[in-house]
Amino acid sequence: MAAARDAIADLPRLGLGLGLRSVHFDTILADRPPVDWFEAISENFMDSGGRPRSVIREVAEHYPVVLHGVSLSIGSSDPLDLDYLARLKRLAAEISPAWISDHLCWTGVMGRNSHDLLPVPLNEASLAHVAARVRQVQDVLERPLVLENPSSYVRFASSTMEEPEFLRRLAGETGCGLLLDVNNVYVSCFNAGADPVAYIHAFPCESVVQMHLAGHQHEGSHIVDTHDRPVRPEVWDLFRLAWARTGGASTLLEWDGDIPDFAECHAELLKAKGFMDGRTEPEAPGRLDPVGPEGLSNPVGFLVPRVMDSILLEEA
Amino acid sequence: MSALRAEQEWMHHALIFPREVDGDERDGLLSASPNLSAAAGLAIYQRGYFLRIAACMREQFPALTRALGEPLFDDFVADYIRDRPPESHTLYDLGRRFPAWLGENRPDRDRPPAERELWIDFMIDLARFERQVFALFDAPGHEGRPFAGEDTPDDRLRLQPCFDLGAYDFPVPAYYHAVRDQREAPLPPAGRSFAALVRTDYVTRTISLTEPQYLFLEAMAGGADVEAAAEAVARHLGTTAEGVIEAWRTSGQRRRWIGWGFFIEG
Repeated sequence: MAAARDAIADLPRLGLGLGLRSVHFDTILADRPPVDWFEAISENFMDSGGRPRSVIREVAEHYPVVLHGVSLSIGSSDPLDLDYLARLKRLAAEISPAWISDHLCWTGVMGRNSHDLLPVPLNEASLAHVAARVRQVQDVLERPLVLENPSSYVRFASSTMEEPEFLRRLAGETGCGLLLDVNNVYVSCFNAGADPVAYIHAFPCESVVQMHLAGHQHEGSHIVDTHDRPVRPEVWDLFRLAWARTGGASTLLEWDGDIPDFAECHAELLKAKGFMDGRTEPEAPGRLDPVGPEGLSNPVGFLVPRVMDSILLEEA
Repeated sequence: MSALRAEQEWMHHALIFPREVDGDERDGLLSASPNLSAAAGLAIYQRGYFLRIAACMREQFPALTRALGEPLFDDFVADYIRDRPPESHTLYDLGRRFPAWLGENRPDRDRPPAERELWIDFMIDLARFERQVFALFDAPGHEGRPFAGEDTPDDRLRLQPCFDLGAYDFPVPAYYHAVRDQREAPLPPAGRSFAALVRTDYVTRTISLTEPQYLFLEAMAGGADVEAAAEAVARHLGTTAEGVIEAWRTSGQRRRWIGWGFFIEG
């Protein structure tokens, strides 16, 4: 545990990064844009025998890369999937990511996978359960795990502690690092009727390795974590606080639905600089999103390649 | 059973079968917040579960989505994931069991085979083809290593790893490529079709085949060398293996197949 904590303290500050998305592969490989680092979704590359694996190898030759998973299911009551961990470890050996992260969540049970990031009851029993599994994962991967606070829409009645406290104790007991998703803080706090500023103040920022930024859909009564639009002013304002409290943790923009071209994603990321150095003043809170169909929380469609784009017909 | 296990089994069931949720049980397990009731919060997960998977399935079966229309395709997906909830950590696996499930759950399955509807057979064939195409996209391949050349002796030709074959009761490869090219794509009449799928430089090619060509490659996929594969074709055509090989060479098939990367040197 002490070794893991030391390893977390030694992790680099990577600057401002972007999520590695297949729609941007060609631009990244051809233009080598000046992005500090990329975060790749582990499951998109760990089983790949095709172009994605080739692309991540090439990207890792030119940029720092971090692996971010969505299916570790650290909070599940199912046994850990050791085959999954072996595949993840093989990919890590190939591309030497700066760290490996996933979410404080469960994705399935009874051998099934919902492909969603489902909330964990926050109590003593679940803390002990998750802590034991984090230790097991760290032993297999031979490196510290970094865990993210998920966006949430419900809270289990059996919860007896708040999320910052749960993560503080988890990090203290296991030496794992934390990924502070600032947008998720805002989404979850709004939905729970809680104060996001108080959340950040309560968060164990000394364990934060990385932060996430993303856009969300404000429905008035609640917020959906859609990752399909620019970061809202309220989240930028919260980021200023988080940036200061974490001492400048590596920061990454996620854009996963209606993904614009690379230049637009990069420009959105670079807005962070103004909040980091205090040049940008906080804006008035953003207006509610126009009435329309409710977006999808945690979209994953971007993880499925458009295979039709890479197939030709030949006559024999 | 631990409390955590019970909570997770309950919530997972609530995602797959939203109509079976007991309101009192839900309100006992989940806390309401000032902004979201337990029912409203749970509904976001329930709605997202289906929409998320349906979006991925449409990406994996774009031609079938076009053929059925999105609402009907989504209806099939809803039934499919209730019957066969996802089991893998990877979204790429979502469609693996879909063609077989369509066959087992076709709407006219209780009728005698002769009375079944042809359009359903077409949809199942198309699903099978699209699954093959999708699987080949990310399968282990031979990129970065040498392929066989025209000077490779026949007895050293082996099929490369990223290769697949299909025999269909409808011209589904042609239909798929019409959709891909955004051409008009009416549902085609029944008719046997054969195709090879091969990937080089991370680009997949669909090559339409004759039945003898399919039999030749099917034998090679089963481990036969060129001579044994030609013998299989010769038996089918009532001719000689030497004649099959001669025709394969003189027709330019051998050169084209090598050019498309069918073979590596064994």
